[in-house]
Amino acid sequence: MIRFDNVTKIYDQKTRPALDSISLEIDRGEFAFLVGASGSGKSTFLRLVLKEDHATRGVVYVAGQNVAKISSWRVPKLRRGIGVVFQDFRLLPNKTVFANVAFAMQVIGKSRGIIRETVPEVLKTVGLEGKENRLPHELSGGEQQRVAIARAVVNKPGILLADEPTGNLDPTTSLGIMKVLDKINRNGTTVVMATHDDDIVNEMRKRVIELRNGVVLRDEAKALYTSMIPVIPAADFGSGLSAEANK
Amino acid sequence: MRVAFILGEIGGGLRRNVSMVVSVILVTFVSLTFVGTAGMLQMQINQMKGYWYDKVQVAVFLCVDTSTSPTCASGPATDEQKKNIETLLDSAAVKPYVTSWAYESQADALKHFKEQFANSPIVDSVTADQLPASFRVNMVNPEKYQIINETFSATPGVETVIDQRQLLEKLFSVMNIASLVAVGIAGLMIICAILLIATTIRLSAFSRRRETGIMRLVGASKAVIQLPFVLEGVIAAVIGAVLASGTVWAVAKFFIQDYLANQYKDTAFISANQVLILTPGLLVLGILLAGISSLLTLRKYLKV
Repeated sequence: MIRFDNVTKIYDQKTRPALDSISLEIDRGEFAFLVGASGSGKSTFLRLVLKEDHATRGVVYVAGQNVAKISSWRVPKLRRGIGVVFQDFRLLPNKTVFANVAFAMQVIGKSRGIIRETVPEVLKTVGLEGKENRLPHELSGGEQQRVAIARAVVNKPGILLADEPTGNLDPTTSLGIMKVLDKINRNGTTVVMATHDDDIVNEMRKRVIELRNGVVLRDEAKALYTSMIPVIPAADFGSGLSAEANK
Repeated sequence: MRVAFILGEIGGGLRRNVSMVVSVILVTFVSLTFVGTAGMLQMQINQMKGYWYDKVQVAVFLCVDTSTSPTCASGPATDEQKKNIETLLDSAAVKPYVTSWAYESQADALKHFKEQFANSPIVDSVTADQLPASFRVNMVNPEKYQIINETFSATPGVETVIDQRQLLEKLFSVMNIASLVAVGIAGLMIICAILLIATTIRLSAFSRRRETGIMRLVGASKAVIQLPFVLEGVIAAVIGAVLASGTVWAVAKFFIQDYLANQYKDTAFISANQVLILTPGLLVLGILLAGISSLLTLRKYLKV
C-alpha cells in the first residue's frame, strides 16, 4: 500500500537529511506505528506519502503509484484515498459535528443524499451517535478527535495517517481513540500512526517502525515501544562513540 | 451540490470581510468610471468630427479698412477684386474641388455676429464696416484646403484664408488631452484596484486557511478550493463595473443630453443610449482585473 524505495529527503543542504535512504513497505490492511524522537523523520514520512513534499532521492509508491509521477491536478485524487488525523484535531469551530464531517464530502462533490446517509453511519463507527448537532467546543478532547477521525474516514480512504492523534489526550481517552482506529483498521483500512505514546504502543502490539535521525532503527512485528533486544544499526558502529561525545 | 457549496463559500467570504469588499467595489467603480469617461469623450469627438466636417467651410476673408496684409495695400476690396475671386472660384483649376460657395457681405457678417454674440455687450459697439466680407467655400474634400489657400492667399483684395477645420482641430486636441488624462487617472486607479483585490483575496485566504487546509487534505480539487476566492473578487469588481456604467450613463443623460445639448443646440452631442455600448467593455475589464489579480495572488498564497 505504501512503499519507500531508498527515499532520501533533504530540506537544507547544510544539515543532515530528514530521511536518509529509507526503504520499507506497509501492506494493505496493516497497522503500523511510527515511533522515534522529535526530528527523527516521522512527519517527513507522512508528508511524503501525502505528496506535500517530494523526495529528494528515491521513489515513494502509494497504492501502487509512484507519487512523483502524479501530476499536480491529480494530487487531489491521491489525497482522497488517504485520511489524515492530527494531534490538534483541526475541526472547523463554527460548524457542528455533522457539518464538520459532511464538509469532507461536500468539497469533493458528494450528493446531499449520500452525505445524509453516510455521515451518521461514520459517526456511529467512532462512537458519537446523538452528538451530531454539537459544536466542537462543546465536546471533550477525545470526542473532538473522534470527529476528526470520522472526517478522515468518511470518504472511505484506503489509508489512514495519524500524526500523534493521542498527543493531547489522557491515557483512558487515548485508549478509546485506539479502539476506534483499530476498528477502522479491521474494516480494511491501512493505518500508519506516528506516536510518542509508549503505553499505547505496548498495549496494541502492532508493527513498530522506529526512526532515528532519518534512518530506520528497527522494524518489528507485534513489538513494544522500546526494543526488547538492544539494536545497534550498522551505521552507528564507530560513529557511536563520537555521537556520545557530542552529547 | 458542488455549485451550492461554492456559492455558500462565496457568501460566507463576502460577509466576513464586508469592508474590504466594499473598498474593492469602490475602487473598481472609480477606476472604471474614468475609463468610461475617456471612452465617452472619444465617442463625443468622433460624433463632432462627423457632424462638423460636413459643415466646415474655407473662409476667404476680403480686405477692410484696417487690414494690414500686403494683398490689402490698395485698401478695402473693390468690386473688381470680388469679381476676380468669383471667376477664380468658377475656374477649371478650382471648380472640381468645390461643391458650392457663397458670398457673405459685411451686412450679413454683422447679422451673424449679432446672432452669435447675442448675450454679449460687444454687439452694440460693432459696425458692419469693421467686419470683413467673405466667400464661404464648401469643399468636396475638406482635406484639400491647401488648394484654396494657394489660389487665394496671394490674390489682391484677400486678407486671409481660414480653414475652419483647423479651429475645430484645436478643440478636438483639447478634448483628446482630456480623455488621455482620464485614461491616465484610470490607469493609476486600476493599479490600485489590482493591489487592493490582491490584498483582499490574501486576507480572505488567510482567514479561511483552516477550511482550505482541510479541503486540501480531503482531496478537494484546485477549482473547488480557489474558485470561491476568485469569484469573490470578480463579484465585487462586477458590482463596481455596473456602478461605473451607471455613472457614465447618468453623466451622458443628465449632463450631456439634457443640459449641454439644450444649451448648444447647433452642436452634435452623443446620446445617453450610445454610451451604453461601453458597458460590456467595462464589465469585461472589471472581470479581467479581478480574475487575473486573484489568480496570481492565490498561486502564491493558496497552494494546493
